Amino acid sequence: MKRIIISHEARQLFRSGAFRALLLMVAGAVAFAAWSGQRSIDRQVEGANAAIAFEDGRRGKMRADTEQYQAQVAAEGGEYQFASAQHAPGAGPPQGTNAGVVGSTTAKYLRMPPTGLAPFSIGQSDIQLSYVPVSMNPTMYITKDNELENPVNLMTGSFDIAFVVIFLLPIFILAISYDLLSSEKERGTLAMILAHPISLRELMASKIIARAGVLLAGVLVLGIVALLAVGTNLDLADTWARFGLWMAATLLYALFWFAMSVLVNVYGKNSAANGIALAGTWLALVVVVPTLVSLLATTLYPAPSRMELTTAARQAQTEAESTYMARLSEYYYDHLEFVPEGDERAMDFLTVAMANRNAIEKAVRPLYDEFQSQLNLQESLVQRFQFISPAIMMQLALNEISGTSADRYEHFLNQAYDFRVEWSEFFTVKFLQRAPLRPQDYDQLPAFEYREEPFATVLMRLVPSLLGMLVLLTGAILIPFLRLRRYQVATS
Amino acid sequence: MLQATKLTKNYGDIEALKGLDMTVEGGDIYCLLGANGAGKTTTISLFLNFIRPDGGTATVCGLDVAEQPLETKKLLAYIPEQVMLYGNLTALENLRYFSQLGGHDYSQDEYRDFLRRVGLEEEAVDRRVKTYSKGMRQKVGVAIALAKQARALLLDEPTAGLDPKASNEFSELLLNLKSHGAAILMATHDLFRAKETGTRIGIMKEGRLVDELSTGEVTHADVEKIYLQHMHAGGHYAQDGAGSA
Repeated sequence: MKRIIISHEARQLFRSGAFRALLLMVAGAVAFAAWSGQRSIDRQVEGANAAIAFEDGRRGKMRADTEQYQAQVAAEGGEYQFASAQHAPGAGPPQGTNAGVVGSTTAKYLRMPPTGLAPFSIGQSDIQLSYVPVSMNPTMYITKDNELENPVNLMTGSFDIAFVVIFLLPIFILAISYDLLSSEKERGTLAMILAHPISLRELMASKIIARAGVLLAGVLVLGIVALLAVGTNLDLADTWARFGLWMAATLLYALFWFAMSVLVNVYGKNSAANGIALAGTWLALVVVVPTLVSLLATTLYPAPSRMELTTAARQAQTEAESTYMARLSEYYYDHLEFVPEGDERAMDFLTVAMANRNAIEKAVRPLYDEFQSQLNLQESLVQRFQFISPAIMMQLALNEISGTSADRYEHFLNQAYDFRVEWSEFFTVKFLQRAPLRPQDYDQLPAFEYREEPFATVLMRLVPSLLGMLVLLTGAILIPFLRLRRYQVATS
Repeated sequence: MLQATKLTKNYGDIEALKGLDMTVEGGDIYCLLGANGAGKTTTISLFLNFIRPDGGTATVCGLDVAEQPLETKKLLAYIPEQVMLYGNLTALENLRYFSQLGGHDYSQDEYRDFLRRVGLEEEAVDRRVKTYSKGMRQKVGVAIALAKQARALLLDEPTAGLDPKASNEFSELLLNLKSHGAAILMATHDLFRAKETGTRIGIMKEGRLVDELSTGEVTHADVEKIYLQHMHAGGHYAQDGAGSA
């Protein structure tokens, strides 16, 4: 019985020009979003490659110098020496032999690899760079290049597939279902149908199933096409598991909007009233509430300005310097490269500079941590308030699934902090021992490999958002189906 | 077949139906006459379970409509004042859809046969019904009722606005259905048709059945006279009734 209605409804849908036009629009939006998401990720990858190539190139140059120097020492005899200071070109050991110089003047870019689904949801990845520099500089320098994105882009968000799913898909759903029952009633066919042994619930459910089936088949096809077109690591199980989660979340979200259509339709108002009510609901849940929550987050936990952090760092530096430096020493410190060769004091200044850096790190790290934790507070407020809007839950879920969530980024940064210590240690120890850096030492530099979070962790973080949507969906289904009992097919 | 017992329905403060008692047997064409708002449509809606009674029961073949709505709807066919169909489907597709909803399935030829029997032109069968006149749509409505093999028919002013020829054809179809033993309840304003086609006439006023006639025992003139007498009789409703009759 239901099957008849479902196939009838599906055929009716495809016969309507408006539906076909909408389908084309969604396909167009997905194609554009896929392209735009892909471009965004490509730019990140290119940026990372360029930064890595640049820094590696500089270290490569230094290494080449030491190789040349080593050959020279081997040919001319003598000792492979430690370069204490800048020489005129060609004279003395090259700077590349000085671990302190190499460590402070070159950086190592660490990269958080995008997941296979990254182009689907850009998330915050446009302001939280997926590649960060690590050097002997204090921790705060790791994220200093973040938030450099064009502010207009930040306001509007990026046009990715997540945007299409969260913003446009509900409009499409509401467009094909806002007059689910009211149109039949207005057309007069509702009475014709209900004169047959069909219950209203059965009719409603069949109509929804037809639409949801058509829509979700479309979403699945578009999703797979998009994944094949812009996804990466298609041979990894991880990518497909994430894709499955993506589809599950989209299903929940889509069903929620269908349920809203049903909910509005059981009140027996006309199609125009239903349309207005649903447009209002969309506006409230997708636009207004998320904006308010974000406003609340930034008002309650204002993001500390990076300027303040930088100023504080300067201050700490000044303090550190004033305690360690005498006047003359300061002069030398400012002109390290001119300190005469063999001057013991020059070495001291380099050491002092290292010590200063250490002091600055100690002084600024608490500020930096506070800065980061303020950002985390905003994030956790959004996490807590997500349950009032399925759009927020969906955004969080999709970021999580695509690996562009704040939590995954924090996981990456923590690894970067750890690596900074390791990286600094390598150069500091060599420097303090005045051990000249040889070409083969360059091969021993600490390597960074991003450790992905266990998939179970990702799943655990998804639970609140998905469960929240499920609860909301269940409520949105239950209310109308209980209320349908009172639906008046005929009015006086 | 169709039986109303103390059937009562209120819309807010307005009593639309005040304890209606009536019976329509198989082979009967029972015509409900009465001014607009007398409760004719309400009665039909109650038999279809489109609305819920506030008192009394409506039964179809002994089954309570409110308690077994799906069972009773298998026995009923309904032809409203405007038979509304899916405009982008052909007559045959509409007929097939509604028949399947009723739990029947026929062959292509059988569907065509139903449409031929109700007098729909051959060329119209495969045309989308949005181009149809009202008369043509009413015919499809009858075809749907025929295909459903209903034991009881509920008709709500089905011939309103039809030209005399179409109206006459419609009456022929009703007589045909009657001869198969269906119980037919028809709300109408057409006194002439009621006398011509109907076997019994019920006159409703302000939610009550005020008179019942057997068409065999009265003339056309009698029907009109009795009807108008009732409309003019009593209270402030008289003018309304006369106005719309």
